[in-house]
Amino acid sequence: MKTIDAYKNDLDQTILSSKKMYDDAVAGCGGNISFRALPPSDIEIYNDFDLTKYNYETDLDAYAESLLAGMEKSFAARKDINDNFFPSIGPILGIGDYSAFVTGEIIFRKDTSWSTPCLKEIEDFRNLPPLGTSKWYKKFLEISELLLKKTQGTGIPFMRGFFSPLDLAHALRGENIYYDFYDDPDMVHELLDYCADATIKFAEDIYALNNKYNGKTKYGTWYTKGKINMSEDIACMISGAAYNEFCAPHTQKVIDHFGVGYMHCHSRAMYLVKEICHLRNVAHLWLATDPNQPRPIDHIEQLVKAANGVAIAIDCDTFEEIQNHYNEMKKGNFSICLPVKSIEEGIKYTTLFEQLKNK
Amino acid sequence: MILEDISTLLQKGKAKEVKILVQQALDEKITPTMILNEGLIKGMSIIGGKFKNNEVFVPEVLVAARAMNSGLEILRPALVASGAKSVGKAIICTVMGDLHDIGKNLVKMMLEGQGIEVIDLGVDVDADTIVEAVKTHHPDLVCLSALLTTTMMNQKVIIDALVKAGIRDQVVVMVGGAPVTQGFANEIGADAYTADAASASEAALAFLRN
Ligand code: B12
Repeated sequence: MKTIDAYKNDLDQTILSSKKMYDDAVAGCGGNISFRALPPSDIEIYNDFDLTKYNYETDLDAYAESLLAGMEKSFAARKDINDNFFPSIGPILGIGDYSAFVTGEIIFRKDTSWSTPCLKEIEDFRNLPPLGTSKWYKKFLEISELLLKKTQGTGIPFMRGFFSPLDLAHALRGENIYYDFYDDPDMVHELLDYCADATIKFAEDIYALNNKYNGKTKYGTWYTKGKINMSEDIACMISGAAYNEFCAPHTQKVIDHFGVGYMHCHSRAMYLVKEICHLRNVAHLWLATDPNQPRPIDHIEQLVKAANGVAIAIDCDTFEEIQNHYNEMKKGNFSICLPVKSIEEGIKYTTLFEQLKNK
Repeated sequence: MILEDISTLLQKGKAKEVKILVQQALDEKITPTMILNEGLIKGMSIIGGKFKNNEVFVPEVLVAARAMNSGLEILRPALVASGAKSVGKAIICTVMGDLHDIGKNLVKMMLEGQGIEVIDLGVDVDADTIVEAVKTHHPDLVCLSALLTTTMMNQKVIIDALVKAGIRDQVVVMVGGAPVTQGFANEIGADAYTADAASASEAALAFLRN
């Protein structure tokens, strides 16, 4: 892996404009739009990488080498696209590691993974092994440290997202959590509080490692210092009222611990944008477009109203859509991602976007 | 009136109350089929429709289904005694490589809500397991859920395996899950696709009636 400037021409500028967008977002002011091109090379790493190929007990080095090689390839491929993207590294283990750090095993498939629910009764969380002692907690830190060691000196930021307390509780308890909402709401709060604490501890330990290796670099701690990235996938299954009652306080606890929240949710739950964006100190919400659901790009006006200034990251299908919605988007903060067929197309649309911005 | 109350309480997920009222309805000599159709199934259909329109959410559907099951517990012996025939039998699963089970579970509940017996094979289920299950349980319907573009192709793998095993004609194959479309269902030779759980149970019933 080379130093970060080998993969990004205008790093300072990119960071500066991102910082402005997020500062404005937290302050509730709009007016920022950033652009990201998504060439096939950005996602090829996920197609090429086979999670079942590695022995996580005995040969983490092979895993780390091949992961970093894939990342290097994708960073190098897009180095001439001067969009809002900048490289970051971090473990990719599917989704199982997002909950197995508490307890249990990860089941690996080629391009994904999962862990199975472990709480037969909701109060069983009280009998879980002490946090930090599970196999995958230690393994995850080991993998992170290996990646950090191998990329030390490159200045490439380390990045890691987490499940929100509700996502984690759902992974641990499975579908029973939905009955628990009705049967034992107090215990749901206790479990969610446990999940918030678990996330805080896990993130702190990961961040400390990042600080050890990247603390002195210019941008190595960009994703970790004073920030937390969390997904609210399971919130898509419940009402706005239930979100406010059960989830908001615990998600807020995690955000408050770190400073600013960078959140993720789905277009399936467009109605939740308002609830999530009204949590304190949320800077960013990545609203993934789901199949069979309304597309966020078709609902900019509604999103501006609901977002409270929070920067909403969405995707679109064509550049025309960006042009058509540009003025509306300016009323809030948006990060817009356009899938492109090639690097050349990525360069072309980044230039067109700059022209649109400077008009 | 009592059937109306059963339906209303079921929609609120009041399992204990539903159980008591079903017993009361039986004591009042209302026929088991009437209690099933006008009380339990009616309530579950209303919840399914509300879910489709985003008026209620996953927990509400699940507790309603639980209330229905507790009512069914009381009703089942009376239904059997009255000679009411089972509506039909379905096998359901999420296909291999895929763990998303929330939608699959809702479809299961809605099918059960229509009086269909459902055998749930869980998640990450491969073609051999389905073929075996069809041979063992002789279901009328095979319901396959897939939420990933990468795993929806496994719905085709399963249909092909049913063909190869010579048992494709014995079952109606229904497919669903967020990325699945009617076009895709046609392409892979499925018999039906629906976009949501309530419509899935209606489509299933329509097949069973024919
Ligand atoms: C919740 C969720 C998760 C949870 C799953 C928890 C669980 N136990 O199910 C977690 C966080 C674990 C997860 C993991 C992953 N997920 Co996910 N997930 C979702 C999300 C947000 C909601 C799915 C859901 O439950 N919806 C609610 C239910 C009620 O809806 P439904 O499943 O569509 O079911 C309804 C209908 O489709 C229909 N139906 C369903 N099945 C059937 C079957 C039949 C026969 C019929 C007739 C009808 C029918 O009726 C249902 C009720 O109305 C979706 C986005 C979305 N909106 O779909 C992404 C989504 C499915 N996930 C996605 C991805 C990429 C993943 C991961 C690969 C992420 C990763 N980094 O590893 C992993 C994959 C793990 C695996 N191998 O399966 C992508 C898939 C993209 C694609 N096109 O392939 C989606 C679309 C998100 C996105 N926009 O990118 N996910």
